[in-house]
Order: sequence, then C-alpha cells, then structure tokens
Amino acid sequence: MKYQGMSFKAMDFKAMWAVAMKDMKAIGSNIQIWLPMLLLPIILAVVLPGVLIFGVRISGLQGIGNLDQIGRMLDSLPPGALRNEILTWREPLPQMVYFVVNYFFAPFFLIIPLMVASVISANSFAGEKEQQTLESLLFAPIDILSLFAGKLLASFLPAMAVALLCFVLYGVVVNISAFPLFHRLIFPAPNWWFLILWVIPFLSLLATFVNVFISAKVKGFQEAYQLSGLIILPVLALLFSQMAGVLFLDAMVLFWIGTILLLIDGILIKRIEHHLDRNKLFESQVG
Amino acid sequence: MTEPIIEVESVVKSFGGQRVIDGLSFAVNQGEIVGLLGPNGSGKTTTIRLLNGVISPDSGKIRISGMDPQTGGDEIRRRSGVMTESAGLYRNLTGKENLEFFARLYGVEKPNPRIRELLSDFGLEEHRSKKVGAYSTGMKKRLGIAKALLHSPALLFLDEPTTGLDPEGTRDLTRYITDLNRKYQVTIFICTHLLRQVEDVCRRFVFIAAGWVLDQGTLPEIENKYLGEVDLRVETELQVSGDSFLGFPIIHRKPGHYTFRVESKERIPEVLRAILAEAPLYTAEITGRDLETLYFKVRGDSR
Repeated sequence: MKYQGMSFKAMDFKAMWAVAMKDMKAIGSNIQIWLPMLLLPIILAVVLPGVLIFGVRISGLQGIGNLDQIGRMLDSLPPGALRNEILTWREPLPQMVYFVVNYFFAPFFLIIPLMVASVISANSFAGEKEQQTLESLLFAPIDILSLFAGKLLASFLPAMAVALLCFVLYGVVVNISAFPLFHRLIFPAPNWWFLILWVIPFLSLLATFVNVFISAKVKGFQEAYQLSGLIILPVLALLFSQMAGVLFLDAMVLFWIGTILLLIDGILIKRIEHHLDRNKLFESQVG
Repeated sequence: MTEPIIEVESVVKSFGGQRVIDGLSFAVNQGEIVGLLGPNGSGKTTTIRLLNGVISPDSGKIRISGMDPQTGGDEIRRRSGVMTESAGLYRNLTGKENLEFFARLYGVEKPNPRIRELLSDFGLEEHRSKKVGAYSTGMKKRLGIAKALLHSPALLFLDEPTTGLDPEGTRDLTRYITDLNRKYQVTIFICTHLLRQVEDVCRRFVFIAAGWVLDQGTLPEIENKYLGEVDLRVETELQVSGDSFLGFPIIHRKPGHYTFRVESKERIPEVLRAILAEAPLYTAEITGRDLETLYFKVRGDSR
C-alpha cells in the first residue's frame, strides 16, 4: 500500500526544516553532546598537526617515531604528479612535512564528519522513540520523506560544519607552523578541494543516510549507535591503504571516490521511499 | 441530518499475531462529543492511531470526512488534533518552544498570538519559558492539549485526557472542551476508562472490549436497553410497615427515605402518584443509572 506524501514532489520543506532546526537546537543547547563531538575533531585537526610540525621543526626528523614508515611511503610514491609535487622540495624535512600535511592527514578529515554524523544521526529517530515523541510526529501532517529529510539535515549540516571548521583551523595551524620551513603557504594542495567539496559532502550524506535509516528501524539509541560504527570501516581501510602505500588520496583518487559515493547516495535516495512509511516507523518503536 | 465525520466498519488489526482490533464498527457524527470507553488494552489507543493513518488496518474500512486515512492521511492529520496519553512533548525544549515547533509542523499561519492564547487558556503563561522536563504531570497534560489545538482542528482526539489532572484541572478541561464543541462545533472523540470524568461531557458512548464494540448509544438509550428494573429513591413522610408498597418492593429504607424497585421507568409516575395520595413527597430520583453502573451492565451482559 502506498501512502499519501510518499513522493519527493509532495515534500513539505517548511515542516522538514522545522524538524531539522528542532534537532539542531537540541544539540546546541546540550553541552554534553556538542563538546565531545567537537573536541576529538579539534585534537585531530589542530592539536596533533600543530604538535607534529613544531616537533619536527625543533627536533628534526629524528623526533618522529615512525619516520621509517613515512620514509617508505614517500619512496613508494608512484611516478607522476604526486611524486613531482613532493619532490619540488629538495630536503627530506620539507618533503616529509608537505606529504604529512597534504596527504597523511587527509583521511582524518573523512573520519571527522563521520564521527559527528554518527552521534547525531543514531539519535535521530531512536531518540524520538526513547522520549516517546515519535508518535507526536507521526500524528502531525508531515509526510515521512520530509520527516526523514529533516532528520538527515539535522545530522548532515553539523557534520559538514565541523568538517569545514576543522579544514579552516587545520589550514591556519599548518600554514603558520610550517611557514618557517617553506616561506610560503603549503596548504591546501589541489587534492584538498576534491576532498572538501566533492568527497566529504557525499560521504557525510551517505553516513547520515545510513545511520538515520538504522535509527528509524531500531528501538533505541544504543542499538543505532553501535550499528552506526560500521560505516567508519571503509574509511579506516582508506587510511591504512595510504599508510601502506597502496592508495594515495590524490586529486584523481578523490574524484573517483566522490563519484562512487554520489552514485551510492543517488541510488539510496531513489530507493528510500519504498522502505519507509508511517506504519513501519510506528511498529519499529514497539517491537 | 448530520454527516458522519468518522466511519469505521469491520476493522481488524493485529500486532505480532495478536488481534488487537477485532471487527470494530462505529460512527461519529459531525459536532458530537463521543466517548470510547473500555478497559486498558481494549484497543482504544490503537483505534486513534488507525483513524489518523498512523497504522494501517489489516482489513475493514475507515473514513474520516469521507477520506481514507491510508491515502488521505496528511489531509486528515491537518484537520485533526490528537493528544496522546503521554502528551508527546520534548523535555529539553520549553513549553513555548514545543508549541512553536508543532505550530510549524501543522503550518499554523500566525503562530505567536495562537500560542499566547493557548498558554493563557491552559494556565501555562508563567511557565512558558520552563523546560517541559521540569513540568508537573498536569502541566504536561495541559500543554499536550494546547499542542493538539494549535491549528484549530475540526476533529479532536483525546486519549485519556484527564489522567494525571487534579480535580480543578479536570473541571477546567471538561469545561474547555464543552465550550469548544458548543462554540466551534468541533467534533471530539475521547478515549478513556475514567468514566465519571466524561459522563457529563459526552453525548454518546461506544463501549469496547478486546477490540470490538459491545454496544453504543446515548446514555438514555443504553439505560433503556440495560436497565429493565429501576431503583427509585424518594424522600417522603409516607409510613410503610411491610416489605412493599402497592406491590413495589422496598429494597432499602431509612427514616424518611425509601428505595423502591420498579419494573420499568414507565411505572414511576404511578408510584409517585400513589405516594402523593397518602403523604407529602419531597424528592425522587432514579439511582444506579450512572455511567459506571451502565458500563458494568454493558460489560456484564455482553460476556
């Protein structure tokens, strides 16, 4: 049976925005939610690179514990634009710093929006069920797609905002701390524009989409949050493959990753209307 | 002739193999206040969910203002207001913020004056900036009703509206909904097991148990059907020495008062005339015909 409003044409954007604003307001007004959500990204994007660059500037390359591994990574760079870009710098120290700043840290920026998105989106529908407010929403004249989209936005927008904030802060920190070595700005390399504008939005959308869907299907937050952790696995695979020298996140690789994510997002959005309706959403809270 | 705004025919709904609604049929006319009465677990809340298209029936037919809740659900939900038993409010938002949010969901055009009016009507003005988590049960209930009325619905569903309200709160609410019905012809559908609180509010009652209708009608209709014999209590100076008076058994007596058992209401004038012929008569009333007594009669006779 097909429900009224289960089509994108019938979406109620005002109601969708009301749901998104209500959820974002709830996050903003609870320091216990947003502080931990912001703290880890700031450590990854600001503290860690800052300490690392200052460290190598003061103590030289020997100060880096896993120097050999990064050295091997540089040696294994395939011939081409990326290798030429790194080899612009003659000395090993700037080569290493340039590589770490523009490549080594890149996968962390994929993890940051995922972390933010999974905390918020796991709570999206599961939180309503736990607070006994889902029924109020189901009794309201909002179609399920608009409700789902509102929940999606409430996770996607903060995830993107934190990712962009970290990108800006990271840029400031690495450029300032690395300036004495290069005497010019070294960040961002071209691959970052693909990362920030092409990969992260589609990845965040995929993560929020999957997690909001899981949250709509399970009974409580704990269940939803545990399942949401699974989405981070492919990103960890990317991180390790770069560390192992198998795959480097240069502009071309990022372009293709973004394109694949866009296709997956498109397929999921197209299919979502067949998998969600009021009846199923209601029954998910009772059993 | 008034139009039925709610029509339910042979509706069946099961959850996990258990039949919760089992052939439910009833109708509610435009402008009526109808009480759906039944014990816990009889399917009252499920009925409200079905009528609003929140859940779909396994079989049967439901029409709200002629629309099927499964295909015209959003339009039905736009025209109806629902107060659920748990009130369904956000604890981390203030009372005013809750109403603002729901006003946006329901597309209320000028929300601020309406919110102010409802907060004032339900005595919540001074608590509007408090988080709902800090509200008492009664305050949450009142805010839940205000929420249901935000968009001035033509049809109002109230699920156990008086649970958790103190006597003043109950009195104010019953007055409010009676006024709402009288002034604006809002059709009101109340589900409850607290019979005394709806006895004077509802014009018609639907008695349900185990998901099906035991009986329905106005209080006099139910009374005529289930009260064959009536007990008539009189205050009089009549002196009767035996166990009966003109063949009417006396089932209870105390100085100046008698309770007679009369075969039917139609014979009451006969009793009263006979008493008046012998002694002064000060008061006379039929006892044991309140909603609670009738409820148990309906339930008992249907078992």
